Amino acid sequence: MESYSFDVVIVGGGPAGLACGIKLAEKGVNTLLIERGRFCGSKNLFGGVVYTSSIKEIVPEFPEVSQSPVERPVTEEGYIFFSTKGVVKFFHTKSDSQEAFTALRARFDAFLSEYALKKGLLIAPKTKVVDIILENFKVSGVIVDRPRSFKDLRPAEVKAKIVILAEGVNRLLTEKAGLVKGPFKPEEVVLAIKEVLQLPKGELEKRFGLNEKKGLAAELIGEITSGLPGTGFLYTNTNTLSFGIGIFLNTLVNSNLKPYEILERAKAHPYLHELLDGAEILEYGAHLIPEWGLQGLPKLYGNGVMVVGDAAGLVNPLFREGTNLAIYSGIMAAETALEALEKGDFSEKTLKSYEERFKESYIYKDLLLFKNLKKFLLNNRQIFETYPNLIYEIFSLYFSAQGQYKKEVVREIIRTIKRKRGLFGVLKDIINLGRLFW
Amino acid sequence: MLNILVSIKQVPDTTNIRINPETGTLIREGVPSIINPYDVVALSLACYLKNQFGGSITVITMGPPQARLALKEAMEFGADRIILLTDRKFAGADTLATSYTLAETIKYLERENPFHLYLFGKQAIDGDTAQVGPGVAARLKVPVITYVTKIENIDLKEKIIILHRKTEKGVEIIKAKLPVLITCEKDLAKSPFVPLSEILKAVKSEPEIFAADGPVKFEREKLGLKGSPTQVKKVFTPELKKDTLIYDLSTTSIDEVVMKIIHILEEKKII
Ligand SMILES: Cc1cc2nc3c(=O)[nH]c(=O)nc-3n(C[C@H](O)[C@H](O)[C@H](O)COP(=O)(O)OP(=O)(O)OC[C@H]3O[C@@H](n4cnc5c(N)ncnc54)[C@H](O)[C@@H]3O)c2cc1C
Repeated sequence: MESYSFDVVIVGGGPAGLACGIKLAEKGVNTLLIERGRFCGSKNLFGGVVYTSSIKEIVPEFPEVSQSPVERPVTEEGYIFFSTKGVVKFFHTKSDSQEAFTALRARFDAFLSEYALKKGLLIAPKTKVVDIILENFKVSGVIVDRPRSFKDLRPAEVKAKIVILAEGVNRLLTEKAGLVKGPFKPEEVVLAIKEVLQLPKGELEKRFGLNEKKGLAAELIGEITSGLPGTGFLYTNTNTLSFGIGIFLNTLVNSNLKPYEILERAKAHPYLHELLDGAEILEYGAHLIPEWGLQGLPKLYGNGVMVVGDAAGLVNPLFREGTNLAIYSGIMAAETALEALEKGDFSEKTLKSYEERFKESYIYKDLLLFKNLKKFLLNNRQIFETYPNLIYEIFSLYFSAQGQYKKEVVREIIRTIKRKRGLFGVLKDIINLGRLFW
Repeated sequence: MLNILVSIKQVPDTTNIRINPETGTLIREGVPSIINPYDVVALSLACYLKNQFGGSITVITMGPPQARLALKEAMEFGADRIILLTDRKFAGADTLATSYTLAETIKYLERENPFHLYLFGKQAIDGDTAQVGPGVAARLKVPVITYVTKIENIDLKEKIIILHRKTEKGVEIIKAKLPVLITCEKDLAKSPFVPLSEILKAVKSEPEIFAADGPVKFEREKLGLKGSPTQVKKVFTPELKKDTLIYDLSTTSIDEVVMKIIHILEEKKII
């Protein structure tokens, strides 16, 4: 009978699991990473933009690598506010074009896994972890959905001194390990739907005013989500566009709208309609984003176990951070595992230092800073309903001020604000927003 | 003990493949390569037979360096030996050159331990010629049985195999003496539920590399483009010709239309 035993088993080959695996493999730790997809990234999608600084932590030579895992450098980024009548664009050109890149997961994760393989990490694809093995209150391995051998059809067990859960947002094993109670609630996650679109040749550069060394990343706010709390995104890849929308699951359920209906409505907005005219849909998919924040943060460690990345809920939607936090947490867990292996102690006592590392990092401080943001967004729909329209109207008045007494224009702007939200309302929103961070 | 050889090909996953409307070429970017689905059937059959009779499986493929991934995946079916034929001199081979190269390799591999069964897919989904299996059989001078749908029995002592083969008219049940070369239809064998043991073996495996100048001794001029009389001029989807006549009943009377139809049918000697 075959029996397997490793120092560390990592569940999930996303950025968190792969970052962790690379760090352990580099130190020669006997590690197995288990990924259910045909290859890493094959089942996954994101926006998305990745940040050079975080990638360099695991691939120091990035972006000077032979087969680039990324699409375009982000040279222009900003916001587009959607009103029913039109849009207001707010853009910034980046001085450092190597700071951030658009990417597609099927390529990005596959690159990281190739890199990890070269470092000596063992990756078992097409294999799903279905349970964890608990012995004397200690996690001591995992059970997979594959038989032990052609003859012995019982599910295979893989023993490990430490199990690292990098399973992503659907954190079933984290629950089984007792690190978090029960499944997440609909208001704790955002459902994102995304399309990869291909424009007729040459149109991408033309419509977005880019050349092949430039790329754009835009967040879309307002009418684009039919006024529901959430945002859209539009990123340029090498030959395609990533376009999608994310909406809090609870409000989506209450709205009685189907995800694809929201996407279709968004694409029908005159501005996007023109921008995406003639686009062919190459891919369509949906994925959850964990936004339970600090309130829903699982215990990050237990006896013989640690949890990293999305499984722990380490994202900052406002700053488009997720992949990088996954990488940082994966590295911190790897450092902790190395420490534990050196000591020969895999109990909570030793693994607690993962949490200590985490608490010192900016990830935790940010989670603390943003801890009331989700509630604020859910309770202040005007951010998504009223303001984008208001911003549009203000700019409309401002830009059609020619031939008028300018004081009258200012008065008109103020009247519009009063009508739409009320001065009191605006002031309250500003103070509330401010209070989030102080 | 059954000594089995399986020959496979790496192909683009055509379920994901798209034609670039601008240029008319295949968009291969990001399209993952897979093992030709009929070759997966061959591997599955090999896996099943090995588990039933014991023995060993050797898998070969000819292709670019990245075809090693197809061979690594073949390990999951319980393969014991994987061999990649890769060399610039093999490139551009048509079915003639391919079957020569594979057959010579197989002869080399079975110098000491002859194979009982040579398994091929019925055809490759990116070429659809179905010629390589039979071509190899002819060169090995073994019987070939194409489009096999079922193995009824193998008697190792008597060296007899009984199997079903699909034809246009129905099913032939054939009894043959081993060794034979068979090409596999899709219902021949179900994919096995690969155990973790084989997944891990596959991950750790690397194929042996065979090049044009060794270890097999090839006649150079029979390899690759040089050994390929087939020249592809153009690839296109044939247009379906439909000569349609439309009669408008608002302008022509029904009697007239019926007469016209009868006339045409008579002209074409259909009635
Ligand atoms: C629409 C969208 C847009 C986003 N945009 C951005 C962006 O622009 N920038 C950014 O930084 N982040 C972005 N993110 C967030 C980012 O994608 C995630 O934070 C990040 O991928 C988390 O990495 P992870 O490794 O923790 O989890 P994942 O990437 O989800 O990886 C988990 C892996 O585990 C595997 N797995 C799960 N369960 C099992 C099991 N039981 N057995 C075996 N394998 C298993 C999965 O197949 C998967 O490969 C976006 C996310 C979405 C959905």
